[in-house]
Formats: sequence, structure tokens, C-alpha cells
Amino acid sequence: MKSKTKNRTILVVEDERPLVQAIETKLEKNGFDVITARTVEQAARYLEEINNIEAIWLDHYLPGDKTGLDFVAMLKSPDSKWKKLPVFIVSNTASNNNVRSYLRLGVSKYCVKADHRLDEIVTEIADFLDNPEK
Amino acid sequence: MNEEKKIALKLEILAREKEAIRRKLVITARQLAVTAKEKESARRSLVVTARKLAVIAKEKEVARRKLVITAKQLKKMSETLENKVLARTKDLEQIRSRTEAILTSIGDGLVVVDKDGKISYINKSFEEMLGWKSGEVLGKSMVQVVPREDQNGIKVLFEERILTQVLSGQKFVADLTNPFYYIRKDKSRFPTSSIVAPVVLGGKIVGAVEVFRDITKEKEIDKAKTEFVSLASHQLRTPLSTVNWYSEMLLAGDAGEVTSNQKKYLEEIYRGNQRMVELVNTLLDVSRIEMGTFIVELKSTNIVRLVRSVVEEQKPQIDDKKITFLSSFEDNIPLMQADPKLLRMVIQNLLSNAIKYTPDKGRVEVSLFLDNKKNVILKISDTGYGIPKNQHNKIFTKLFRADNVIGKDTEGTGLGLYIAKSIVEQAKGKIWFESDENKGSTFFVVLPLRETRK
Repeated sequence: MKSKTKNRTILVVEDERPLVQAIETKLEKNGFDVITARTVEQAARYLEEINNIEAIWLDHYLPGDKTGLDFVAMLKSPDSKWKKLPVFIVSNTASNNNVRSYLRLGVSKYCVKADHRLDEIVTEIADFLDNPEK
Repeated sequence: MNEEKKIALKLEILAREKEAIRRKLVITARQLAVTAKEKESARRSLVVTARKLAVIAKEKEVARRKLVITAKQLKKMSETLENKVLARTKDLEQIRSRTEAILTSIGDGLVVVDKDGKISYINKSFEEMLGWKSGEVLGKSMVQVVPREDQNGIKVLFEERILTQVLSGQKFVADLTNPFYYIRKDKSRFPTSSIVAPVVLGGKIVGAVEVFRDITKEKEIDKAKTEFVSLASHQLRTPLSTVNWYSEMLLAGDAGEVTSNQKKYLEEIYRGNQRMVELVNTLLDVSRIEMGTFIVELKSTNIVRLVRSVVEEQKPQIDDKKITFLSSFEDNIPLMQADPKLLRMVIQNLLSNAIKYTPDKGRVEVSLFLDNKKNVILKISDTGYGIPKNQHNKIFTKLFRADNVIGKDTEGTGLGLYIAKSIVEQAKGKIWFESDENKGSTFFVVLPLRETRK
């Protein structure tokens, strides 16, 4: 486990309560400050209000009208101020079309929840943030 | 001369003249007799001729009478025949219009072509579905009038059209697994399912009949099914992820130390859940294959490296069962055009089967070699339980598991080989095996290299 002088803030957008709890615990144990949101609208509001968010953990299917894909499209639009913010899609909907759309939009990683250990995903995110150009 | 002498002389002259006349008369009489005879014979022959003529006349009369009768009969017969023909024509007309009405009213598109593939009949549904009028297409080539393309909009070549194949005497083909599309007159398209059958007359193919229908509805249902499966799998995966992550965290001591006994139980939960995840993934793969939503992404693929990494991944199982493992790879196997993810699934399935169905201390061999520089062959053999002869033909069937392994303590869904075969065939390869019960099995996969240079 890496020791950090300063904690990184990550926004976790996930609606499944037990999963949110597990993700939050694991991320905190790995030196992250965690903000959680259940919907795209809520997440967008937090982004506006909190300015030290360094990464986003995002699910695909979310309550409300908007999916993770809509959120990423907004984040990665040409005039967005969050264009460079790394986005990690952690979802169980591995439809090929969705994966492709996410990657085309420029997300940093896509992984299927059921196929990965939680600590694997957290470590990967931490590594990515440590070496962003990799 | 005296008078007496003169008279005597005159008398003598007279007598002579008389004699001459008498002679002449005798001659004439004779001549007359001859003429009379000739006349008699002529008369007789005339009588004969007259009699003959009478006979002929009689015969003629008989013949004439006969002719009159025949003519009457002929007339009668012709009348009957005419009536019959009329009736028959009416019947035929009725049958024809009935057939026409039936063909016309068939809800499916119908086209009849001659031996050159030229259209000789189309029905109303054909006109409605494709936008062509009968008059515009009769005598034209069906293959040209109605282009056919696959899912990706790639035109089916003339020689690959079922119609062409059927007309050339190849066995009747009906490929219902790969959906294709017919292009309308206005260039729009619709998914079609069609059946083509040859028309055989006197042992010769004289044409073909094609019946096709618009399967837009079926496709929509199919799509709904795909969406349902995708959604259901999403729903299944969420609780599975919860169990996964929490047992993982418990095992990692995130909620405090666990005793070794608790750890054992947690590991069972974790493993059981892991199997469930794999099962859901496999089911997803199967539904993708069946719905044709398997997206194939061809890349330059190093198959040797792929096999090595699968072997590496399954090393723990190999070691667990103390299996002797051998591998050999031919040098210079080039990069090939393949979907590495799918290819990996094939290798994984075959290798894990070999390990799973081989008892402890058995032997598993993997080799890769080239064939004619065009194909790469993957051979995986084991000294395992083998496949009973009477089940050889079922081994690639979905959900099928051979009798001899069901009883053994092995996990399996009966989906692995089904998936492997679907992938290999999709890649235009072949898969087969040789197996003897209790001696082992050898699986072969031949894949086209579709070589790419670096």
C-alpha cells in the first residue's frame, strides 16, 4: 500500500448501496478521500461545488434519465473544464457498444465489476493517477 | 373374122371377166368373214369391259356410301372433341387462375426463375416487398434485380447466392443462422429469410423457386431478447459483485482479523460466487453467439504468446493434479488476423477441459504448427477420460456433457465446446477431435492465418 502525503479526492458515482459502501471503504483504506453520488445530476453538482476532485469512478446504469455515458459525453465535450479529469468506468454492463463508446470518448479505463477484485480496481486507479502518461 | 368367131371371142372375154369378178367376190367374201370375226371379238371385249365398269361402279357406290358414313362420324367426333377441349380448357383455366390466385395471395415473396436465373414469375408479395412490378423484372436476372447483402452491408457475390448454387445443381442450401438483407428497388433493405428449391423436369434442373419473407418482426423480437439478456445479466452481476467484494474485504481483514476457520468458510463463499460469475459470463457469451451480437475485432495476433499466457494462467491446476505438461510451438509462426479475446476463449476452453478431464498424474500436450503456410493448427491432447464413442457426435452440442464425466467430480456447464466451435467456425476455421474412452482425447483447431506483417 502506498503512503501518500496528501489524500486524493475521488468522486464515486454508483447507485447500489452495498457496493458504494465497499468501494468507499476500500478507497479510503488506500488513501483516497471519497465523495459519493447516486445520479449523474448529483455528480455534476458535486463537480461544480467541489474543486479538488482528481478522478471519477463511474457506473453505467444509474437512476434518473442519464446514464454514465451521458455524463462522460458532457465531461469530455470540447468546452468542458473537466476534459482532462480521468474517468474510470466500473460497470457490469459490458455491452461491446457501450465499452467502445466510452473508450472513444476518452475514458481512462473500463472494467467489469463482477470480473475484478475490488482491490485490483483500486490499485489500478491509484497506479494510473501516479503515472498518468502510461 | 366372121361373126361367129367374133361372138365366141366376146363370150370368152365375158367369161373371163365373170371369172375375175367371181374371184374378186370370193376374196371380198373372205375379207368380210374376217371383219365379221374381228367385230365379234371386239363386241365381246366391249361386253367384258361394260361388265367390269358395272362392277367398279358398284364398288364406287359402296365406297361413296362408306365415305358418307365416315364423314358423318368424323363430324360427330370432332364435335365431341371440341366440346371436350372446351370443357378441359375451362377446367385448366380454372386451375390456372386458382393457382395464380394462390401464388398471388401467398404472404411470402415468390419468384420462379428459369435455368439461367432469369425471372419467369413473381407474385404480388414480391412486388409489394421489393417495389418491382412484374413487367419490369420478367426475363431479367433475379440475382441482379434483387441484390442481397449481409448484416454489415457487404454484397453477397453472384456465385455465392443460394439461387446460383441451387441452379448449378449444388445441394439445397438454407442457411438460417446468418441473417441477410434484400435490397428494394428504392435501395432500402429489409432482413430476409429465404428458401430456394430447384425445379426438376425429367431429371434436369430447369429452374428454381425461391420463397422469401421479411423477418423484421423476428429481428425486433431478437433484439428485445438481447436487451433482456443484457439487462438480466446486469441485474445478476450486481449482487454477485456485492458478495464478491465483501468476502474479498473480509478475507483481506478490512473488517478485522478472521480466524483460520472463518477464512476457510469465506474462501468457499468467494469461490462459489466466482463460479457463479463465470457461469453468468458464459451464459452471456452463449446468448451473444446465438443472437449474433458477438462483435469480432480482428487484430494482428500472436497466437503463440496467447497459448503461452493461457498455459501460464492454468499452471496452478496443472500443478495441483501433478499433470505432466508438454508444449511445442513451431518456429516462425507469423502474426495472424484474429480476435485475441475470442481466440483466447477457444484455447482456454480446450486446455481447461484437457486438464479437468485428465486424472492426476496424467499428461497434457499442447502444440502449434503451420500447415501449408496458410493455416495454423492448435493441437491439445490429454490422457484423460476420453469421450464415449456413441457420444462423439453430440460433444459440441450446447449443454451436452458426456456420461462418463458427469459422474466424476468435475464442474462443467456443457457450454465450453459449443462456444469454442461457434468461435472457430465464425473465424472460418475447423475444430474436431479424436478420442478413446479411458485413453484420452486430442482436439484439433485449424485457423486461417490471414497473415499480417508487422
